[in-house]
Amino acid sequence: MNKTITKEKVFNHSIDQIWNAITNAEEISAWFLKADFKAEVGYKYVFNSSEKNCSAIIGEVLEANPYTLTYTWIVKDTPAITKVTWKLENLGNATKLYLEHSGIENYVGDTAIAMFESFNGGWDNCINGLSTYLKEEVNAR
Amino acid sequence: MQDNITKLFKAIADPTRRDIFHALVIATSALSITQISNQFLMTRQGVTKHIKILNDAGLVQMKEDGRNRFCFADPKPLKEVNKWMQFYAQFWDDSLDNLDNYLKTKKDA
Repeated sequence: MNKTITKEKVFNHSIDQIWNAITNAEEISAWFLKADFKAEVGYKYVFNSSEKNCSAIIGEVLEANPYTLTYTWIVKDTPAITKVTWKLENLGNATKLYLEHSGIENYVGDTAIAMFESFNGGWDNCINGLSTYLKEEVNAR
Repeated sequence: MQDNITKLFKAIADPTRRDIFHALVIATSALSITQISNQFLMTRQGVTKHIKILNDAGLVQMKEDGRNRFCFADPKPLKEVNKWMQFYAQFWDDSLDNLDNYLKTKKDA
């Protein structure tokens, strides 16, 4: 069982465009989850899903220096603390994004049950809801 | 589905049950309740209680042989747990795709 999830993705956008997209509350809200967020160490952020039955994510910013962003990631009302790190690398015309989500092993036993139950409809709904929301936003423009 | 996975998590949340399950996995043959209680220095009632929870979760199967009941491990349901634990991997894939779409839309705007 993987305890740390790592993802890499190259975007055809400048490093600052990506940095803004992952640190600016308005931008985070547009593509990810409705965010009360500031890229300041110690800031206690909240990510809310636009869908019902999706738990909020809460945490604290641990590091926010261009181009590294780290925060704790806690599913509200569950005790497990995990950590998410975003790192950006300038590739000239593109930007490479590294994402690391560690501490997944903390979701065991009763915590896993609590977490599972807290999602009811499951994350698929939360994400699909977000995609629908984005499509509507785009069409509305 | 949710009931099943909740039963699975409850079954594997307890360290003694994990140990019993592990003992059954590595055993070369099915074990009786008596053999398990001897190995774990537990009462038959205690073992029976744990086995029932493991059995409900589908992790332990039972077979009757005369007066004895034998237990053997069935690890197949664990795949479900593993699949579920991997859900963050899918979550981040979907989220990064959303980020990509967002940036493309923004660029076009």
